[in-house]
Amino acid sequence: MNAVTSSILSDVVVDTLEKLAFLFAAPLEGPAPEETRELATVRVRFSGPICGGMQLSLSRPVLAELAGNMLGADDASALSPDEQHDALRELVNVICGNLLPLIGGNNAEFHIQTPFIPAGDASGAGEFGPTNAASNLSVESGICLVALQLDGPVPAEGARS
Amino acid sequence: MAVNVLIVDDSAVMRAMIQKTMKLSGLQLGEIHQAANGREGLETLERQWIDLVIADINMPVMTGEEMIEHMQANPNLKTIATIVISTEGSQTRIDRLQGKGVRFIHKPFSPEMVRDTVKEVLGSEVFHERSH
Repeated sequence: MNAVTSSILSDVVVDTLEKLAFLFAAPLEGPAPEETRELATVRVRFSGPICGGMQLSLSRPVLAELAGNMLGADDASALSPDEQHDALRELVNVICGNLLPLIGGNNAEFHIQTPFIPAGDASGAGEFGPTNAASNLSVESGICLVALQLDGPVPAEGARS
Repeated sequence: MAVNVLIVDDSAVMRAMIQKTMKLSGLQLGEIHQAANGREGLETLERQWIDLVIADINMPVMTGEEMIEHMQANPNLKTIATIVISTEGSQTRIDRLQGKGVRFIHKPFSPEMVRDTVKEVLGSEVFHERSH
């Protein structure tokens, strides 16, 4: 696990949650509370000077809040699963898009594929494979777990250090 | 003058966010059209009178950059004001887009960033008096 890349990833996730959906996040201290463990998961693949993938898992109550805040909905619980999953896909898309220049360099051109909900909406990062960086955060009344998988090493000039 | 807007983004949530931002901006809005990718965007541009295109870059079927290239090659479409709202972080790609006369807004964006950029592109006269 790369501590520098994990720190950069955490900064990007916290900033994106706040600016995109007015959700405030902080590093998760200790194990996540049991009631927050029901998670919705999304993944995205990217290619370019660095290839890899990202997985993001968010507590379901926070997902409803995320979608409600993004859409300005009065009743977030009334939003459909499709709307909530679309918000989750957009969240990981924005996080990935903001992270890649920080680890790959400002002039590197990446292609970010369309984010997808894994079959069965698998919760947790168990099936994602080995990760190079991770960010575990508490968000409002839930948690947000983000894992980054890189197919090669981080370019020396890319990672902020 | 009411401004007809085309929003091109593969995320319905993001299209709704941009539409809401436009409505709150004080812009004198006419019709708002939506498309889920660059191909659908071009089809809408062929059918409708559009004054302002707001487009993402990374989309399936046809990217925003490809859509803008098609617009540039069409005399009827190349003068339409275009703003890209994207997570794009590559300065090389942003410079390439800006070289085509396209304005760029980075996601996540604030409503003020969108309002100010639309004002720069279309002028203050297309906004209601209270937003000046």
